[in-house]
Amino acid sequence: MQMGFYFDQTRCTGCFTCSVACKDWHDIPAGQTNWLRVMEIEKGKFPNVFVAYLVTGCWHCANPACVTACPVGAISKRQEDGVVVVDQEICLGKDNCDMCLQACSYEAPQFGTEQNAKMQKCNFCIDRLAEGKYPICVEACPMRALDAGPLDQLMSKYGQSRDAEGFVHSAELDPSVVFNPKLALAPYGGFL
Amino acid sequence: MGLAPKERAMTMDSGVEGISKGKAEVIRAGCSYDCGGLCPLIVHVKDGSVIRVEGAASEGTPYRACLRGRANRQRLYHPDRLKYPMRRVGERGEGKFERISWDEALDSVASELRRVKETYGNSAIVFFGLGGSHGTLHGLGAGIRLLNMFDGCIHLWGNVSNQGAIFGSFATYGSMLTGNTRDDLLNSHLIIMWGWNPADTIWDSGTSFTLAKAKEAGIKVICVDPRFTNSAAIFANQWIPIKPGTDTAMLIAMAYTIITEKLQDQEFLDNYTTGFEQYREYVMGVEDGVPKAPRWAEAITGVPAATIENLARQYATAKPAALIAGWGPGRADYGEQYHRAAMVLAAMTGNIGIHGGNTPGWEGAFPNYMTMGGLARGTRGLIGTGRKYRVPGYHIGSTTRIHCCEIWDAILKGKAGGYPTDLKLAYVMAANPLSSLPNTNRGVEALKKLEFIVVHEVFMSATARFADILLPANTFMEREDVSAAWLGAPYFVYSNKCVDSLYESKSDLEVCTELASRLGIEHYNDKTDEEWLREFLPGNIPDFDEFKRKGVHTVDLDEPFVAFKKQIEDPENNPFPTPSGKIEIYSKLLADMNHPEIPPVPKYIEGGESHNSPLAKKYPLQIISSHFRRRVHSQLDNVGWLKDAERHALWINSIDAQARGINDGDQVRVFNDRGGTIVPCWVTERIMPGVVHVPEGGPFDPDEDGIDTGGCANVLTATGYTPGGAFPGNTVLVQVQKL
Repeated sequence: MQMGFYFDQTRCTGCFTCSVACKDWHDIPAGQTNWLRVMEIEKGKFPNVFVAYLVTGCWHCANPACVTACPVGAISKRQEDGVVVVDQEICLGKDNCDMCLQACSYEAPQFGTEQNAKMQKCNFCIDRLAEGKYPICVEACPMRALDAGPLDQLMSKYGQSRDAEGFVHSAELDPSVVFNPKLALAPYGGFL
Repeated sequence: MGLAPKERAMTMDSGVEGISKGKAEVIRAGCSYDCGGLCPLIVHVKDGSVIRVEGAASEGTPYRACLRGRANRQRLYHPDRLKYPMRRVGERGEGKFERISWDEALDSVASELRRVKETYGNSAIVFFGLGGSHGTLHGLGAGIRLLNMFDGCIHLWGNVSNQGAIFGSFATYGSMLTGNTRDDLLNSHLIIMWGWNPADTIWDSGTSFTLAKAKEAGIKVICVDPRFTNSAAIFANQWIPIKPGTDTAMLIAMAYTIITEKLQDQEFLDNYTTGFEQYREYVMGVEDGVPKAPRWAEAITGVPAATIENLARQYATAKPAALIAGWGPGRADYGEQYHRAAMVLAAMTGNIGIHGGNTPGWEGAFPNYMTMGGLARGTRGLIGTGRKYRVPGYHIGSTTRIHCCEIWDAILKGKAGGYPTDLKLAYVMAANPLSSLPNTNRGVEALKKLEFIVVHEVFMSATARFADILLPANTFMEREDVSAAWLGAPYFVYSNKCVDSLYESKSDLEVCTELASRLGIEHYNDKTDEEWLREFLPGNIPDFDEFKRKGVHTVDLDEPFVAFKKQIEDPENNPFPTPSGKIEIYSKLLADMNHPEIPPVPKYIEGGESHNSPLAKKYPLQIISSHFRRRVHSQLDNVGWLKDAERHALWINSIDAQARGINDGDQVRVFNDRGGTIVPCWVTERIMPGVVHVPEGGPFDPDEDGIDTGGCANVLTATGYTPGGAFPGNTVLVQVQKL
């Protein structure tokens, strides 16, 4: 079974509630470490402007490049739910290695500022998952723009779109995410 | 055993270490900030420390806290919390303090209050209480009650947020309570978000989600705003950019189109309103020879005449249609005219008191006793008058009051300058007026002139730096309180105490209770907090204990609440609370004020700082300052998790940036004759050329030359207000220069 995410890009107001809730739940200090990132996409020229937001965490790929890239086997894909997790005890640390980050198309591997910081990233809130709860980002989203669950169920509920503004789908990695995309179609709006 | 408070704070802020997670006690609480949401929260507490903040959605409530609610732990345990009472040792404003005991601090405040009262009288004391806490029990109400029982003080009138909306609501409908519950938007055929950006400003938990659902249901949403806000970007099908301060002209031109094309709901006008004919004469130019045609408005607003006509036709024919007139455009020169013009347009289209419509105005939907400062109620009768232009219905008794937008001037000039009193002592509670009120540099001068300043604060705010005695206040998770959603949402929040007060901090009520005993005031606080809270409960919450346990009470409604529904369905028995009993398009009350800038029908009056003013040669850009999603006014600005979310920056269009050699991220100086501030730039197409925007509430942090380096918008705004009380903070001219 493969767990995955659904992201409704048409609803996301870019409010960062998911990202802050993630930091609170997982005790991530403020600063450069972001398990969940929110990107603003702006296109067009005044007054014909397009804006969308893209949320990116770890997409727990079917074929995770980070797992194969890690020289010491610190990253693994869980059999039972396909969640990709890192063992920080094994990780060599960023002063020695950043192969996982190089391999990932979505900047999921994150590092703290401390010396030889070990890799950390979205773990699908496996602690909450064990209690039958949604990941904290899903529970937090004021717009209900996020959902999570078995990927096949998400696909039958929301469709199979792998397309979203700002997102590049990798057929090779096969990220476990489906979208309701907000695609930029010029001209973007404005007067009349 | 839990860690000692100091150690705890340090480990919690560093985040990764700290107390191990796992099973924790969950406590129901709720945000207490001035964003309107007052969202319920589930706080995880272990060994006496907050370890996580979860939303209440997991328990099935529809209200989901935003990033601010989620970041509360980093505010609670912020290393910069004020930890003990302090006395100023350096020059005032220099920020140099020494630690003193609570007894010394309270004795000192009590003795200064006594001295000033005996020497100058109560009118030398001014109370600054703003939106720092939206609890009913804690926050400014404690101070108002204390000073009332001390025989009174000078209060501020007017509020920087929405005084124009309040004025217009009373003049037109006789009531501030013009709002519907948000779910009624789903009954609309058209939603016009006029200067309204709930994606960032919240306006009751669930407002944004309702707008998303409305758009998904195929309801057309149009946004009129100088900025392509997040609300415009996500909810709107169309964005109409407009020059700040000109909204009234566009609304009046829409009325022109509606009248010319006979699209008005004449039956509604005949049955429920008075004075349409006088307004028609103004609009058509019968009165002054100037027809307020869309072409007239195009030259003023920058919006093409055809766009104005099109919007007017849609609004008049898409019944029911909801025109929501946000408060931002009302924070402008003659902002009250903008609100009045929107109200009249809603009446002309018959969109008041019906499902799917909206009554533009102050927008409050639920009167209740659980409101900010509720503790002050029931205190002894007050004396005097303050409002220059009193509109019946809005009556908060008070001693003499001074408009918040000229308080700095009043302190500096006193009676000699025509103000009613000479002020000597400022009591500041749940407020950071240097940041929140206009003309910060004038505020600095004013605060230096006073004889004594006492401030209750959580952090070393701009205003706190000017205190003579600085008292550490606690935060909502350290005390028990109840609150009500700000405006349209039918829910109430019980915020349980989660942890003991950190360090030596106390609640405002605890401080004032101790001062009351030092001042010989009896019966200031004869109740426990719980007894007070029970007293505040409105009748529709029958079970206090259940409310406390659940943390949120949602009012069951058979259908969405709609303001003035009774007045429309059964006008015989339910007149509007105005002198005529009708919606007053023409207000005799306003006419009787006989003030050239308070016309009896809404009119466009050009303000002093428009693109047309001579000053625009020197300062060619208009600046607006709106609410920022990662803080509430100046509160929460120092929270790291929130800083990660979005940079505090000046929005500037690429055309204006290019003309000044500015690239994205460059530091710039924004300035006018009142002051300057240094802030990084965000070059974006999301703002119209000729207009720049900096979020309000940036920290005021002056360098050696007095230039603010924190991006505080109010160093640029002017002292004064327009006659209906509006704060003209969004009609300000500046220049921007690359550093």
